[in-house]
Amino acid sequence: MPLKNKLLVEVIWIVAVVAILSWAAVSNAAYLTSDQNYISNPVSSDPVGTVINVTGYQWAWAFQYPNGTITTDKLVLKANTTYTLVVNSKDVIHDFYIPAFGVQSYAVPGHPNQVTIEPMKAGTYIFECVEYCGELHYEMRGTVVVT
Amino acid sequence: MGFSFVLAVFGSTIAAIIAMVFLLYYFSMDYRRNLIGESASSLSREQSNLLLSRMRREISFSAFFMDDSKSIGIRYLITTVILFFIGGLAGVGMRISLWYPFPTFLTPIQYNILLTAHGTIMLYGFAVGSILALGYYLLPSANMIERDNLGIVNSIMYWFFLIGSLFIIFSRSTASWYFYYPLVDQLSIAGGGSYSFFTLIGVSLIQVAATVSSIIFLKMIFLDRNKSIPVSKISLFSWSIVSSAVLIITSAPVSTIANGYLIYDLINPVFFQGSSVLTYAILFWFWGHPLVYVAILPAFGLIYEMLPKYAGVPLYSYRAGVFSLLLLMVFSALVWGHHLFNSGLGTIWDLMFSTTSFIVVIPSAMSVFNWIATLWTARGIRLTVPMLFVLNGIIDFIIGGVVGVYSADVGLNAFIHGTYAITSHFHWIFIGMTAGMAFAAIYVLFPTLTGGRTYNVPLAKVHFYLNSVGTILMSGFWLVGGFEGMPRRVAGYFGIFQTYQDVAAIGGVILGIGFLIFLINFAYSAYQAPVMSNDNSLEGEVQPI
Ligand code: HEM
Ligand SMILES: [Cu+2]
Ligand SMILES: [Cu+2]
Repeated sequence: MPLKNKLLVEVIWIVAVVAILSWAAVSNAAYLTSDQNYISNPVSSDPVGTVINVTGYQWAWAFQYPNGTITTDKLVLKANTTYTLVVNSKDVIHDFYIPAFGVQSYAVPGHPNQVTIEPMKAGTYIFECVEYCGELHYEMRGTVVVT
Repeated sequence: MGFSFVLAVFGSTIAAIIAMVFLLYYFSMDYRRNLIGESASSLSREQSNLLLSRMRREISFSAFFMDDSKSIGIRYLITTVILFFIGGLAGVGMRISLWYPFPTFLTPIQYNILLTAHGTIMLYGFAVGSILALGYYLLPSANMIERDNLGIVNSIMYWFFLIGSLFIIFSRSTASWYFYYPLVDQLSIAGGGSYSFFTLIGVSLIQVAATVSSIIFLKMIFLDRNKSIPVSKISLFSWSIVSSAVLIITSAPVSTIANGYLIYDLINPVFFQGSSVLTYAILFWFWGHPLVYVAILPAFGLIYEMLPKYAGVPLYSYRAGVFSLLLLMVFSALVWGHHLFNSGLGTIWDLMFSTTSFIVVIPSAMSVFNWIATLWTARGIRLTVPMLFVLNGIIDFIIGGVVGVYSADVGLNAFIHGTYAITSHFHWIFIGMTAGMAFAAIYVLFPTLTGGRTYNVPLAKVHFYLNSVGTILMSGFWLVGGFEGMPRRVAGYFGIFQTYQDVAAIGGVILGIGFLIFLINFAYSAYQAPVMSNDNSLEGEVQPI
């Protein structure tokens, strides 16, 4: 099939692409402005829900709960509760990631970040470090237990 | 201590003397005479360079002793094929070691060394090197150049490139190709590795070589171009080199300077420690993203040149092609922050960089639609080996590009950042386009590079199919695994991901076998008797002398 009217064809494809991407950009912007807490941001003074301090170090993650207890390699949460993870690092840059929740936050030394999670279903999930951090980077992983 | 210090001083003095003798010999040799005969001695260097640049130059060792543009191109070509082989070995090694969820034949440290070597060699050695190779080799004929007078500069830059690559190969760094600050400063093999400064020096040398070469490319295209070619007729390959060159010139020096600070920090940490730790990451990606587009734009240019030839029609729209390449040049300099979502740059920055990342898709899609329209209007598509690579490259670019759009969405990025989905995104594009178009170009240039030989077509097709199937298996299964949360850059993993890793390992091995077949085909065919003229369709205009 000959595509005769060059200008028209070009305009059509540009407009189509622009339309699709504008939709993507607008929904992205809407998400960013309305659900800011669900993506990683520098810590703010009024975190939502229960605060859990997450500390990455070579090569494990430690979780400190409001009552002072600390666990490593295992994060214990309650279903239908809102938590704010305050993610920090003792040495190099790490990245705390829970695939099942679609949530992650860099652990940057001296630059704590926070991200909000709200587990819905009880179960056991995995978490991982997804920023390369040296020899045993692959062992910086563990389980999230939601009860 | 005292003894080894004295030994080091003696050793380096002797090494320096040997290097000086070599350089003296090197610059006093006149290999031109062998090629263009006694007349070479009566010509000035520029004039003989010009003659050589117009020649159809084949692969030969003498290229290392001559400094015309084509010889430099051949030097880079030989070097990058070897570097691709070394980087590929590292890649296949990693894949095989990941067969089981725990580290098998590679210890985590060995794995990390290969990880760093693979990334740096492929990006700086192969991607940058193949662009320099194709630029130096094809620009003189594409622009019918009348002057070739900066040969010595080009030659020196090539040696920078080679020394840089050797530094990268031998440094045993474990800092990954990002060199993020606090890790690289841990000078033990469990952290960033003891000799990361070697890699950093190597990377900087290659960046200098790329920057200077880019300036020379711009000079070739805009100052030396034959007067008979108006700006509106500059070939799309040359335009793609213009885009890459401008991107390199505007962003590589930033990274070179950051590397300088970083090397100093390894000795005496003052720069990145005091400021935010993310400063180095930001400076790195300011160059890191343009780098990936630098790796892809010349492949775009080659598709623009080759596709119409095998589709039997002119390109659908030259104007849209130039427009797309120049828009890509502008926009891909503005998206680097999309590598640092989730790091705490703040919502405003996230919003800005994800929006610019969506914008950069528009010119990419313009190119793709241009190729599709060309194919649509085509009469009698000839499915030669280069054409197969071109078609496969377009498809791989579409798949990889769509994954790129996904990862540019901040919400989705939190799902897949740091997983194999990202690895999948850029391996579709790198293997399909950057490597694929380099293979296609080598096949097109084959008669010229080997002085009239022809490659074995069935073997070349086997190479193509292995390359294509290997990518589909490897990147495809990475993509699915990535969306399930399979982390990248790991020496071991949770057992639930084993299926994806195993299929990807098979894909990786298939890719490796494909490349071996390419090498075997090349070596085998180059020793057959010449059967055809040494013409090729990419440098049609060259006058043989
Ligand atoms: C179609 C336009 C493109 C878009 C929207 C895009 C988007 C992205 C995004 C958002 C990331 C960051 C992912 C993350 O780490 O979370 C990324 C990573 C990457 N992209 Fe693209 N990309 C595009 C084209 C390309 C091209 C043409 C190449 C060249 C081969 C490329 C190579 C890479 C590489 C190498 C990385 C990962 C770097 C690393 O983390 O090691 N991208 N891309
Ligand atoms: Cu880590
Ligand atoms: Cu990018």
